[in-house]
Amino acid sequence: MIELRHVSKYYPTDRGRKYVLENVSLRIPDGVNLGILGRNGAGKSTLLRMLGGIDFPSEGSIHSDNTFSWPMGLAGGFQGSMTGRQNVKFVCRIYGKSPGEIQKAIDYVQEFSEIGEYFDQPIKSYSSGMKSRLSFGLSLYFDFDYLIIDETLSVGDANFQNKAKTRLREKIERCNILLVSHGMAVLKELCDAGILLHEGKVYYYDDIKDAITAYTEINKPS
Amino acid sequence: MKAVHRSSFEIFSSVVSALFLREIQTRFGTKKGGYFWALFDAMLMVLIFAGLKSLVAEKSMPGIDFPVFLASGFLAFFMFKNIVNGAMGAFSANAALFNYRQVRPFDTLVSRVLVEILVSTMATLAFIGIGLYFEFNIAVKDFSMVILAVVWLVLFAFGFGLFSAVMATFFENYAKIVQVIMTPLLFISALMYTVESLPQALREIILYNPLVHFIEMIHGNFFTTLTTEYVDYSYMFFWTFIPLFAGLYLYRASEKRIIST
Repeated sequence: MIELRHVSKYYPTDRGRKYVLENVSLRIPDGVNLGILGRNGAGKSTLLRMLGGIDFPSEGSIHSDNTFSWPMGLAGGFQGSMTGRQNVKFVCRIYGKSPGEIQKAIDYVQEFSEIGEYFDQPIKSYSSGMKSRLSFGLSLYFDFDYLIIDETLSVGDANFQNKAKTRLREKIERCNILLVSHGMAVLKELCDAGILLHEGKVYYYDDIKDAITAYTEINKPS
Repeated sequence: MKAVHRSSFEIFSSVVSALFLREIQTRFGTKKGGYFWALFDAMLMVLIFAGLKSLVAEKSMPGIDFPVFLASGFLAFFMFKNIVNGAMGAFSANAALFNYRQVRPFDTLVSRVLVEILVSTMATLAFIGIGLYFEFNIAVKDFSMVILAVVWLVLFAFGFGLFSAVMATFFENYAKIVQVIMTPLLFISALMYTVESLPQALREIILYNPLVHFIEMIHGNFFTTLTTEYVDYSYMFFWTFIPLFAGLYLYRASEKRIIST
């Protein structure tokens, strides 16, 4: 379970505080795959980062006993002058993996990413697609209670996308996801419940379909 | 499958060692000449000032090989400078890694300080090798006191670096100011001369510079003909613990802001 207690998030600007979230209290039950909807700048990514414990509320608190992944598909966490292999090792070491486990992770990511000999080249020689493949594979290898996914399901060509989706579906058998996306089809396919962020308020829907309907509603030209 | 619970110290040590290896790999990776640059600063200074001295050709330090005097001070000075600069840039250089929630800003700073200690140790060993090869007199009067001075200097650099790292996160100009100060420090830290050799008036001013006390403590315990009479241990203590505690306090108060900016 994830619980938000009177959570506000704001950024100071020249004209006072700009609120992303204002006094939000919310309970997300266990075992729910959650989609997060909202317009650009509504604070979806900020909420996702706060749920994952890498950003913090300005006021209030967030409680959870679960483990959270890093934002899936994160390519910024790679060191450009190190090879793909070295970067995979680095992330494994952060998580305290033994040499045996590190080797398993390397095999998995190498097989999944399909970047061939680039795996032993510095990351800075990668295309952005190759970087995403590497990072996607790495996220899939680790076990968390929640996978945090921020708009990264559209990586690579159609063939790779299918593979990624299949693996992700297998993964969801064993864990839950927090997904930010503008793709309604993806949200419907992967999520059970939904959250809509609009003008600093949070609306929780037990059924993702209701969340999508509400989101479509606010986007109607008035 | 549930992730295995790890104690905070286990997480800290695995993160610091991962960051340490990462820093080493990027620093001493192929084609970068990292090993050469580790030696370059101190070597250049020793060559310049030893050369200048031989031009003037005065023998003001009897019983001391002047290049050894220079090397012992400059190695310590550059260790201080590199630890402070490395620590000060640790948060901004590793900001992307704070997306991994185990990685705390403090860990990146600790690993950078460890890397700088390693680099300084390697540079020192290389200098000892060079000294032996050219048959300089590198005998040390009180080895354990020299080590104490160096360890103390590391602590001073760590505290000042931590304080600076937090300050630099919130004040854009802070890092620039520290970097600007480092260059004149080279000339007012008793590196090419002893405090003893200065006129009284200058002596009193220069002793306000805490680095002078560290360098004099090293020189005075290294060379049989020099003493530590100008070293003020309580002054060194003051400069070690005020920045360290101020740095720790400020860091604790602002860790979340550092992670999310």
